[in-house]
Amino acid sequence: MIRSIVVVVAIAAAGLLAPSRARAQTGVPPLPARLAPATRADIARLMDSARVAGLPVAPLADKAAEGVLKGADDARIVAAVRTLARELGDARLLLGDVHDAVLLTATASALHAGVAPPDLRRLARGRAGEPPDAHALASALVTLVDLIAKQISPVSATSAVGELLERRATDAQFTALRVEVDQDIRAGVAPDAALSKRVRSQAETLDALTPGGRPVKRPPPPPPAPR
Amino acid sequence: MRDDDVLPPELERAVGPLREAPRPRREWLDHVVEQAAGQRLGELIGDDDWRGARSRRWSAHPAMAIAAGLLCMVAGAGGTYAVMGRARGAGRPSPDVPALQAEAVGRAPVRFTVAAPGAVNVSLVGDFNEWNPVALPMTRLGDGTTWEVEIPLAPGRYTYAFVVDGRLARDPSAPQAARDDFGAPSSVVLVRGAL
Repeated sequence: MIRSIVVVVAIAAAGLLAPSRARAQTGVPPLPARLAPATRADIARLMDSARVAGLPVAPLADKAAEGVLKGADDARIVAAVRTLARELGDARLLLGDVHDAVLLTATASALHAGVAPPDLRRLARGRAGEPPDAHALASALVTLVDLIAKQISPVSATSAVGELLERRATDAQFTALRVEVDQDIRAGVAPDAALSKRVRSQAETLDALTPGGRPVKRPPPPPPAPR
Repeated sequence: MRDDDVLPPELERAVGPLREAPRPRREWLDHVVEQAAGQRLGELIGDDDWRGARSRRWSAHPAMAIAAGLLCMVAGAGGTYAVMGRARGAGRPSPDVPALQAEAVGRAPVRFTVAAPGAVNVSLVGDFNEWNPVALPMTRLGDGTTWEVEIPLAPGRYTYAFVVDGRLARDPSAPQAARDDFGAPSSVVLVRGAL
């Protein structure tokens, strides 16, 4: 009977351990073999520093692998990894005690795109003093970076994304904004004008409707001032 | 304190048994010896050459154990498939308005598509496969121009691109990554999960 239990436990454990092993493989990817030993050592040092600082390390290895595939030379790859490590650190300073890799990399990406740190801090804190949740902020930052890549000025893009974030825009609404602005730009509208028009439309929709489709309960108007 | 220290009797009664090494049970010693000799494997596969004098101990129990183990594995796989199926239904990107995120419990299947008329080989590269151009080949659909691949992704933010006949191309339907460090733009997919 004991043997039976041992065998059952062993087989079940093997089944349970298989996904764990797969998850372990998705941790920090190995550095590309094509890199010169000195380059690998440089990147490994940057990764160690990031690890000590509590920053995500996998994005650094991913950046090196991306550089290798895109044919960059070793010096350029090291420079890109170093820049990313610095931006991740800056993102941590901006966001405070945030350890989420998605949010940190999205914030670092926004910094890389040219968004001013104070603007990013305002986005993260929320305009009404209520910080947005991590999912919403990550979506907003990805959209923000995309808008800047479409030649929209970082100031305009940050302001527009902030307006939607404040109104609790959904992922679908951020996606719709991105797609509509892209269509307008392709049709010949100036990028900032396209954004201004589309964000106004989205904001009006959000002001009128909650995500559930019901009208927003607006606060009562202030009492008339005494004459 | 040393082992040969003299203790008060009341303390000695408590400490004495702790000084004795535990005695292994006989059946566990047999079990270990069998494992080391590979006898268990022979018994499991039913090869008479592997059987020794100890094979007499097997009865219906091993078969039940194996059946139970297999049942656990099948149940586990079924559960995983069910979770994946739910994620698939909830998170599949719409072809009209590409979804920014895919809801996921664990890993979510995320479908990547690109129109590449006339292409011979198309693959997907990104943070999820160490930017390996041969790891994720895409399949041409029936229309002859659309290429597709679906992969399970853990929640996260991934930068990616397509390799179309050896040339890198970003996904025109997805958000663009921040200014590229290496001269070839990439796209971003955000897979929802436990942020």
